[in-house]
Amino acid sequence: MYIGLDVGGTYTDAVLLEKGQVKSWTKVPTREDLLNSLLEAFDAIMRGVPPDLIERVVLSTTMITNLIAEKKYDPVGLILLPGPGLNHSHYRFDTESCLVGGVIDYRGREVVPVPKGDIDSSIRTLAGLKYKKVAVVGKFSSRNNKHEKEVCRRIQESHIDWQVEMGHEVAGQLNFPRRVMSTLLNCATRDKYQFFVQSVLVALNSRDINCPVYILKADGGTMPLKSSLSSPVETIFSGPAASILGVQALIPPGETAVIVDIGGTTTDLALILGGQPLLASKGADVFGHMTHINALAVKSVPVGGDSVVESVGKELILLSERVGPPYCMGGPMPTPTDALKVLGLTKLGDMKKAREAMKILGDPLGIETWEVAARIMMLVNDTITSEIKNMFEKWEQEPAYRVWEVLQKKKVRPNTVVGVGGAASGFMTMIAATLDCYPVIPPYARVANAIGAAVARPTLQVSLRADTEQGIYTLLEEGYQGPIEDKSFNEDKALQLAEKWLLKRATKYGLENDIGEVEVTRREVFNMVRDWVTSGKLIDVSVQTKRGILHYIGTGGGNIEK
Amino acid sequence: MKSKKTGVIFFPAFDWAISPTHPEREERLLYTRDQIFEEGLMDLPQIAEYPPKLATIHDIARVHFCVPRVQSQVTEAHLIAAGATLSLGDSIIQGEIKNGFSIVRPPGHHAMRVVHGNRGFCNINNEAVLVDYLRRQYGIRRVAIVDSDVHHGDGTQEIFYHDPDVLFISFHQDGRTIFPGTGFAHELGGPQAYATTINIPLPPGMTDNTFHYITDNLVLPLINDFKPDFIINSAGQDNHYTDPLGSMKFTARGYAEFTRKLNPHLAVLEGGYAIETALPYINMSILMALAGIDYSNVREPDIDSFNFKENPDRFAQVQKTVEGLLDIWSRRDKTDIEKIFGTGKFYQRKKQIYYDTDYIEEEQFEKVRLCGSCPGYMIIESRADRGYGQTARVFALSIPFNACQECHTEAYDLYEEAVKNKKGFDFVKMQDKSTDTCLSYDINKGQEWKSEGPRPGV
Ligand SMILES: [Zn+2]
Ligand SMILES: [Zn+2]
Ligand SMILES: [Zn+2]
Repeated sequence: MYIGLDVGGTYTDAVLLEKGQVKSWTKVPTREDLLNSLLEAFDAIMRGVPPDLIERVVLSTTMITNLIAEKKYDPVGLILLPGPGLNHSHYRFDTESCLVGGVIDYRGREVVPVPKGDIDSSIRTLAGLKYKKVAVVGKFSSRNNKHEKEVCRRIQESHIDWQVEMGHEVAGQLNFPRRVMSTLLNCATRDKYQFFVQSVLVALNSRDINCPVYILKADGGTMPLKSSLSSPVETIFSGPAASILGVQALIPPGETAVIVDIGGTTTDLALILGGQPLLASKGADVFGHMTHINALAVKSVPVGGDSVVESVGKELILLSERVGPPYCMGGPMPTPTDALKVLGLTKLGDMKKAREAMKILGDPLGIETWEVAARIMMLVNDTITSEIKNMFEKWEQEPAYRVWEVLQKKKVRPNTVVGVGGAASGFMTMIAATLDCYPVIPPYARVANAIGAAVARPTLQVSLRADTEQGIYTLLEEGYQGPIEDKSFNEDKALQLAEKWLLKRATKYGLENDIGEVEVTRREVFNMVRDWVTSGKLIDVSVQTKRGILHYIGTGGGNIEK
Repeated sequence: MKSKKTGVIFFPAFDWAISPTHPEREERLLYTRDQIFEEGLMDLPQIAEYPPKLATIHDIARVHFCVPRVQSQVTEAHLIAAGATLSLGDSIIQGEIKNGFSIVRPPGHHAMRVVHGNRGFCNINNEAVLVDYLRRQYGIRRVAIVDSDVHHGDGTQEIFYHDPDVLFISFHQDGRTIFPGTGFAHELGGPQAYATTINIPLPPGMTDNTFHYITDNLVLPLINDFKPDFIINSAGQDNHYTDPLGSMKFTARGYAEFTRKLNPHLAVLEGGYAIETALPYINMSILMALAGIDYSNVREPDIDSFNFKENPDRFAQVQKTVEGLLDIWSRRDKTDIEKIFGTGKFYQRKKQIYYDTDYIEEEQFEKVRLCGSCPGYMIIESRADRGYGQTARVFALSIPFNACQECHTEAYDLYEEAVKNKKGFDFVKMQDKSTDTCLSYDINKGQEWKSEGPRPGV
């Protein structure tokens, strides 16, 4: 049996799955005392189930997301090696940033060594300001990590107690500013994340659950909880990823669908294309900070069941803020939920109060209650459907760098709209009709996130870049750099080497039995030609374990709700 | 003021090459990609990245007489490279972006009006395809094209040689020392478009100093006088001091400064084969200059160890050329055209064109109708020898977008006649830019193809 657990800001959801069926599920409030909330959730779904039948537990959480949103993390000092390029004033992050000389180029060649004096004066500055956490990030450090390592070593010589994080270990992809941000956030949240992991382990231990425990990542894959300690930022947005995987598990395989998750003040949109959730083409935008974190593409629209509706002149408008619950539930202002109530599309709230809300808006405009409600529905519908259309267009507008990529671009439109979240069911018929799709409210939609966590697969990836002219290869995910000794190194050998590393990584994470089928997701070879003769090859290959989910979920099974 | 973005289409064509070791190969923009991406330029609010789109066959046919057909001269990569310039052109005219940079392969400035094969790594002239598209789609009339490639932009020059509404300025290494061997100061445009072609051949070894001298003293004043609706920069980067094909000493900084001063609507990558030592830095600098981002911290790794001395005698020679051209420019309206080009119903010239990549020899006979009310239609008779006794003979007519009724009728009569006579040619072709209609008649097959563009604004 599998357990899926989603620790959200308000609720903690849990499901117990047995052979693709939901055996039980629960939703309990997330309290200050995290450990007790977790225990309560476990106890609710585990009633009468012996703990040794549990084969695996997968978590998703908004904890890191919320920490960052509320800026509740420790200050991190930056030591950056930006080299030539953009004016250095572009690299003023929201914290003390010390710039150090030293230049590495795009092939990872050292152009200018790091001046020792620069390192020492940066360390003095940060020490003077009492920083204990430091992120060290260099331009092109994923092509050559020498400079970052030099700085790190120097820090450790004098400040053994500092927590130092190096860019090449956090984010191997190209894009220096994003690498800085990812490294900074990773450094900032490490302690707090450790606390979360500890609480989970204690809770499981006290209920004698001794199976492997995983955490969901923003890209929909999982990793063992213990090995996630070094990369807390990868768990950011694992909440939305869990909902998307949950929907994927609850709808028929191969479907192209839009997921509309309508909450109190925001609606999250996501796409499933041909049965697979769409990954964002660039790293996640974390509250205005662009990062390298791989994430499923989610678009948040500031509209929900509790959004305030106002009349301005002869028009009704939706405001993006929330001032309280809907009017029909004792709130101060009319909301879309009141409109749903009047039209008989929700069971929540008080009908008399809902009518009153419509009257407040309708009277000055001289329109009837039902018409006000209909207009509000239309407003919400228009906002959401136009964002859905944008999302598809944006996806089509993504750059392509190869001839075949341009040629295979085609228009794709969804055939299904899947509603999850509190207010979704009331709006789904209208949204689906506007988009010419079938509306679907899957069973267990309310705990789709916990289901998503439960069915998520462990995923591992290795991206290897070999520069045979220089005789070096680098591993993007590991930040590792090694020599190529084989004179006849080629694409096939690069793939073999990547697969060897994939196995090594799997073993490190205790996943050696989960590897299964290995997919090659990228294989690119550039002949380096100098003076009309081939002087070497640049080989880029990526291999990964199979993506997707473990099960599609059937119906049946009971629930226990608190 | 509305703050507008710089649009960029980056199309490195990582899966396209002329041949595995050719300079125009997959690897060419690899390091540019690395540099631009690592800098995070595409994330900046001043820059918007667009995906490339394919140009249509008709977009190509509007400009080029491809032999035997467009489809036989272009690959998808060409349609994408041309399409990139069109799509940035759309976004600029529609006001979505203030300017754009098309960092695309393959290049195009050596491609001429008639295309029998590949010349100087080019098949399709991306800039010319854009000009005719902008004219058709948006009624843009006057365009300036400034070619900053080390090689003479002979294709672009040839296509617009008789077009008084396109000012073509090219500075490049002296044709006596480099491909394609043309681009001398006396090449000034045809009788209907005198002094709208300007060439500044440069002796080898000139530096940024000369680059700026030409820009400040010739390029900018001429553009100022000409008042174009749209400015294009054929942004070749082989003037760089590390380029393996050119012998000039320009720097990335020099290119950035030039871009800032010229302030083109669109920069289109042309040549540049120092793929490691120049392209990453120049492409980045041009993009930053267009976007109004400080580029002073971009520098080539070896710039301090390079000798940037310029020969003063050679600089004086450039000054003399520039002064001569300024003189011609200032007297252009008073020039006795008949004295230079002669009189008659037509002006005609004979051309030999060599396709260095495909080893094709073409002989061309070009006639322009000396019309008083429009730039006049053109008649081109072309014969290409592909070796092994294989020849292709073409009779082609080109009607300008602003043709008068008389020229229009005459050109169509000539087309009909050639089709009827069936003698001496394999193909009869017509390019009617005034109605956006292209015709191609295959004499041997007795078959005609016709293509029409979409109505403007549709
Ligand atoms: Zn030129
Ligand atoms: Zn060139
Ligand atoms: Zn005429």
